[in-house]
Amino acid sequence: MNNPILQRQKFGLFTAGVIALLVSLLFVVSPASAGNPTQKTENYCLSCHGDPKLNMTLPSGEVLSLYVSQDVIGHSVHSPLGIECEACHTDISTYPHPAQSFQNKRDLSRTIYLACQKCHPDNFQKAQDSMHATAAAKGNMQAAICTDCHGAHDVQIPGKPRSSISLTCSKCHADIYAQYKQSVHGSALINENNQDVPVCTDCHGVHNIQDPTTAAFRVQSPEMCARCHADPQLMGKYGLPSDVYSIYKTSWHGVDVSVYKSRWPTIWHDSAVCTDCHGIHDMRKTTDPASHVNPTNLLATCQKCHPGTGPNWTDAWTGHNKISLQRTPFLFYVDAFYSSFTPFILWICIIYVVLQIIRSLVDRVRRSLP
Amino acid sequence: MTPQPKTTSSPVIVEKIYQRFNLGQRWEHMLLFLSATVLLLTGLPQKYRDASWSQAILTTPDRVYLIQQIHHIAAIVLILEAVYHLGRAIYQLSRRKLSAGMFPTVQDLRDAGQMILYLLFIRKDKPKFGKYNFEQKVTYWFVFFGFILMIISGLVIWFPLWFTNFLPGGIVPAAKLMHSTEAIAAAVFILIWHFYHVHIERLNLSIFTGKLSEKEMQEFHTKELERLQRKPKDKVKPGEPK
Repeated sequence: MNNPILQRQKFGLFTAGVIALLVSLLFVVSPASAGNPTQKTENYCLSCHGDPKLNMTLPSGEVLSLYVSQDVIGHSVHSPLGIECEACHTDISTYPHPAQSFQNKRDLSRTIYLACQKCHPDNFQKAQDSMHATAAAKGNMQAAICTDCHGAHDVQIPGKPRSSISLTCSKCHADIYAQYKQSVHGSALINENNQDVPVCTDCHGVHNIQDPTTAAFRVQSPEMCARCHADPQLMGKYGLPSDVYSIYKTSWHGVDVSVYKSRWPTIWHDSAVCTDCHGIHDMRKTTDPASHVNPTNLLATCQKCHPGTGPNWTDAWTGHNKISLQRTPFLFYVDAFYSSFTPFILWICIIYVVLQIIRSLVDRVRRSLP
Repeated sequence: MTPQPKTTSSPVIVEKIYQRFNLGQRWEHMLLFLSATVLLLTGLPQKYRDASWSQAILTTPDRVYLIQQIHHIAAIVLILEAVYHLGRAIYQLSRRKLSAGMFPTVQDLRDAGQMILYLLFIRKDKPKFGKYNFEQKVTYWFVFFGFILMIISGLVIWFPLWFTNFLPGGIVPAAKLMHSTEAIAAAVFILIWHFYHVHIERLNLSIFTGKLSEKEMQEFHTKELERLQRKPKDKVKPGEPK
């Protein structure tokens, strides 16, 4: 049994067997890469739908183009992965197609997009809980559905490049995009291709976009800003202070807002949040003359909530400054006084009273002794 | 007029009673005590709005509003009392009738020094005090200046718009800080210093009854008793048995 030739033969057979098994496994596991049969289905569909002139007229009178560009679908994220036409067009598997009952283009989109949930159930469900779905439920059929943002035949990996996200939103929210473009965030994104600045979805969420005009959104919004503005590393990169949020939280406005957030998030409260002063979509550098918080505009910004205030009023705001002799002299002196005065009073009282108690106890004991 | 026992044969010991505070002063203390207590109790939940105990009280925004209103009403009572007190003092001063008894003197410093030596077992006896000892003067003047600060800073954060018309804006957050820290310092002082002296050292209810017994006078206000006995006609009121 210790014949070396026999052993070598056995080993050779074993190796060949393993290789054969591995190769066959390769075919079983990834048929797409092996044979790419789905492209055949796509090609079959495109044999008609590759005609740019192919169209139909919907009952609404809209002319619906039935053309699908080989180039566009070929460069989508789905097609190269072997996801075939009928993955989305679920009821069409052969020709002639079954009769369709779409009244108009929107009706068609809102029906076919339901197929997204087959593969993307989580994000689909989130979108059903969004502001867009709520608007649709109230009758606004133009409210965005999956395909409005992601595209249909031309669906791409989202967020590449990052600036495409805000452009996507701008298709419906053009006026807000115009403001955002001028803002410190938007201009850095669009002009400098800055990857740190927030795009729409960073503040509003991606699929479960909520109504930003509610009390609940308002009181949590400072935390949203703090995700970046309280990050010392990120702020350090731009020479910005990262304590604006922590100091704001101790300010009059900030305490109010945090109490409302934790206790009564659904009750509207006017105490200022970040966006009340800095602007919602048009926040700019404080040095920018167009900024709401630029020294030249600051009083007018305060007066939005505090009408009738005079020019001295703006100095009452210390919600972003540490107590310092330069920025907040009055606060500095009061703080300096009480940080020694209060403990001084406390210790004087305690020491004096304790001495008195000891003395009177000793006296009492002495008197009771014979 | 020296108070006399009613019957010489009675075994009941009748003590002489000395008037310490007049009715007006007792009412002033009562107003001060009540308004300051309400102010403290309604102020603390506002100062510690983040704390859970405060939120157990301030359960709704309406409660916050209510507690602020109570605080403001108590503040008005306190301010009126302070104005009355100061106004009366100024009136008396103008007629040269203001008692000098409450003003600090060099003797108070000596008394304090002696008292500390006594407490450290270096001296055998407590110093002898007049009508108001140095402890009571410290209480009075601490409350006097503390409440002036509380009233001014409170008014600034109550009417910030008006004050910033002619004062720098920086006073508003400074007043807020002062109001909330001075309140704690004052509360600590009253709770430790004042409560010890009037409740634990001895139960001294003269601010409510207006009176002190001869024994108390002898022990705590020796010099005042001596003064009164030297000049029996001056201010000594006939005592009545309690």
